[in-house]
Amino acid sequence: MAQAEAFETDFWKDANLRKAWDDIVPGAPRKTIPYTLTKEAIELYCRSVGEDHPIYFDEAYAKTTRYGGLIAPPSIHILLMFSCTPADDWMRSPGTVNAGQSWSYNIPARPNDVITLQARALDKFIKRERLFVVHDNVFFNQHGDVICSGRGWTIRPE
Amino acid sequence: MTTSFENLNAGDAIDGPKFAVSRESIRLFCDASLDYNPLHLDDDYMKGNFGKTNFGGIIMHGMNNFGLISRMLTDWAYPAGAIHRRLETRWVKPVKPGDTIQPTGIVKSKQVTKNSRWVLIDVMVRNQAGEKVATGEAMVEFPN
Repeated sequence: MAQAEAFETDFWKDANLRKAWDDIVPGAPRKTIPYTLTKEAIELYCRSVGEDHPIYFDEAYAKTTRYGGLIAPPSIHILLMFSCTPADDWMRSPGTVNAGQSWSYNIPARPNDVITLQARALDKFIKRERLFVVHDNVFFNQHGDVICSGRGWTIRPE
Repeated sequence: MTTSFENLNAGDAIDGPKFAVSRESIRLFCDASLDYNPLHLDDDYMKGNFGKTNFGGIIMHGMNNFGLISRMLTDWAYPAGAIHRRLETRWVKPVKPGDTIQPTGIVKSKQVTKNSRWVLIDVMVRNQAGEKVATGEAMVEFPN
C-alpha cells in the first residue's frame, strides 16, 4: 500500500513546518490529499477497535445487506483525517490534545473509494489559558457524495 | 426481543464490549489511524507538562474511545435495520495502558420527523474503577 509506506510516522520531523496557534487563520482551507481507502486499511482499523461485524469483512454477507457490498465502519474518518492531510498539517503537531468532536454520517465509505477532504479551522480561542482551535471537515467519495462531516476541538501545544 | 423503534423506551440500556488497553493496543491504533502523536508513543515526552496538565505517561488516543462507542452503536443498530447517524463525544479522563474500558448507552428519547424516525442515546465509557472517561450523545435512524 504505497500511501502507508509514504506516511511519515515521526511527527517531530516536520514539526517546524506546521502552523502554531498564532498562525492558524479561521476560515482558511487546510491542504488535503486524495486517499484510496483499501480493504486492508479498513481491516487494520477494524482490528484496532475490535470491529468484527461481517459487513466489514465478508463480501458474500455484505451483498445481502442494504449496502450491497463491503463497507467501512462509520468511524473510519479517524484514519481518513490523517491519510487525507499532508505531513505539515497542524493536526499532527506533537502535543495536540483532542478536546471533543461531533460527526454526522451520510453514506458509508467503501473499499477502493477515493476519498477527498475539505477542511478548515473554523474558530480559535483561549480558555483557561489553553489555546483552542475548532476544525471542521467534510469527507467525499469519488462520486462527490458526502460520506461524513465533523467538527472538533483541539488544544494546541503552542 | 428484536430491537425495533416501537419497542424502545427511554432508559433502555445498550452494553458495549470491554476493551483491554495496553501499550500494544495503543500502538496498533497508531498504525490503524496513522495518528502517531507522541502523546501515545513517547514515555520521555510524556514526563513533561502540557500547559497545566501532566499525564504521567503515555495515554490512549481519545478517538479509540470514539471507535469503541461507534462499534457499540453499529452492532446494536445493524440487526434492527437502523443506521448510526451521529456521535458527539467529550473526554473526561485519560485512559492508560492497563485500564479496561467499556462503552455503554442509554436511550434518552425517540422522535419522528417528516421523513424518518430517530433514537437519541446518551453514551459513555467507563474504566475498570467505574470512572467515566468519555461521555457523549448519539443519534440512530430507524428508517420508515
